[in-house]
Amino acid sequence: MTVAENLFENLRLELRRGSLTLAVLAQLRQEHYGYTLRKTLAERGLEIEESTLYPLLRRLEAQGLLVSEWREEEKRNKRFYRLSADGEQMLGQLLGEWNTINASLNNIL
Amino acid sequence: MESLEKFLQSVGWHLPAAARADILAELRANLEAQLEEREEQLGRPMTEAEGEAWVKALGSPVAMAARYGPQRSLIGPGLFPVYWYVLRLVFFWSTVIYLIVSGVLLAVNGPTAEAAGMVALRLPGVWFTSAAWVTLVFAALELAAQRSPKFRTELAEKVGAFNPGPIPGLEEDEQDRRRQKPRSYAQAAAEFVFSVLLLGWLLLIPANPYLLMGPGVAFYQSLPYRVGPVIEWFYWTVVVLNVVQAAWAGVDLMTGAWQGPRRLERLAVKLMGFAPLLVLLAAPQHMLFVLRNPGADEVRLGGTLYTINESVHRGLEVVLVIVALQFVFEVVRAVRDRG
Repeated sequence: MTVAENLFENLRLELRRGSLTLAVLAQLRQEHYGYTLRKTLAERGLEIEESTLYPLLRRLEAQGLLVSEWREEEKRNKRFYRLSADGEQMLGQLLGEWNTINASLNNIL
Repeated sequence: MESLEKFLQSVGWHLPAAARADILAELRANLEAQLEEREEQLGRPMTEAEGEAWVKALGSPVAMAARYGPQRSLIGPGLFPVYWYVLRLVFFWSTVIYLIVSGVLLAVNGPTAEAAGMVALRLPGVWFTSAAWVTLVFAALELAAQRSPKFRTELAEKVGAFNPGPIPGLEEDEQDRRRQKPRSYAQAAAEFVFSVLLLGWLLLIPANPYLLMGPGVAFYQSLPYRVGPVIEWFYWTVVVLNVVQAAWAGVDLMTGAWQGPRRLERLAVKLMGFAPLLVLLAAPQHMLFVLRNPGADEVRLGGTLYTINESVHRGLEVVLVIVALQFVFEVVRAVRDRG
């Protein structure tokens, strides 16, 4: 990787990092378990690695933004996640912030 | 699939014990669902080679496990600029202090190439120890901040605060430095009076040694050592110097020269300051101190006396070097000011 490619990759990751949490919270307005969440986000244009998404779900749950439960589905135990009440509130605030940033950027660009 | 089992086992080694079983169960369920979908697309089970390639693409088990833990840093971004600044300061001053102390010890013990080499070889160790202590302190601060939100807020306030008040005034530019504030007559007169009083005190010392040593006189008189004859020469050199300074200050007051810049006077005083030092250094056989009862104590204390005299002599040599460097600096500054 050239220096320029390396720099672009670093900046791209920085740009993505902040968006991932918003994308995950938004998608979890509907219940998902880890794999289906990853698949749905990928189908909607946002690829997230397993090593990023699954720990992120745990962290958001520890922060009180998600709730989870183990359930059996297709003869397999899976952990399903959805937004908590605090998560819904947080999502609303983050969406507002996102729209503000988006509008500012559109002005600048 | 064996590759998947090995991957999950490796991740498990690095997970916190309390949550290990739960995290592995969830990870297993997600990865097995992914594996099933892949095999459905292939229309057959994955081979071991394909499985290995798939597991490799999942990334490092250590990195995966680390992301399940709390996000930690040894020294976080808030503290890091302060840490870096303190580290550079400590590096600089530890180097300076180490070199000065090593220089004095070399001078006292006699400089040899081997000793000088050891000083150089030990310097990286000094740096490493300094860096280790600074890092330890800041890592402890970071840990305390992570554990206590109250402490984190207080620390952030202290680190982020900026108060221009206590910062020293703006640096003078060259022109401001040359336009020195003139002394007042009262200041010049006070300096003359003080120099006369100092002279009076000096002249009283021989008859009243307690004026110099206070209650320590009794202790000095109980020692088996006393100051040598060269100290008398030193004393009178100091007295002469002070007479010259007091007279110079008096003449300045009477002639009005006290208003002008005193660059020449300052340089002259510094040059004259070499005289007492040179008197001490010129002591025969470096005998600054002698025995009160040489007949009785020569055998017992002669060696110790020799060590004391040699050590003080070496110390005076170091002082001479420092004073000489200061004088050169003053001369350079004076020449620059005139230019």
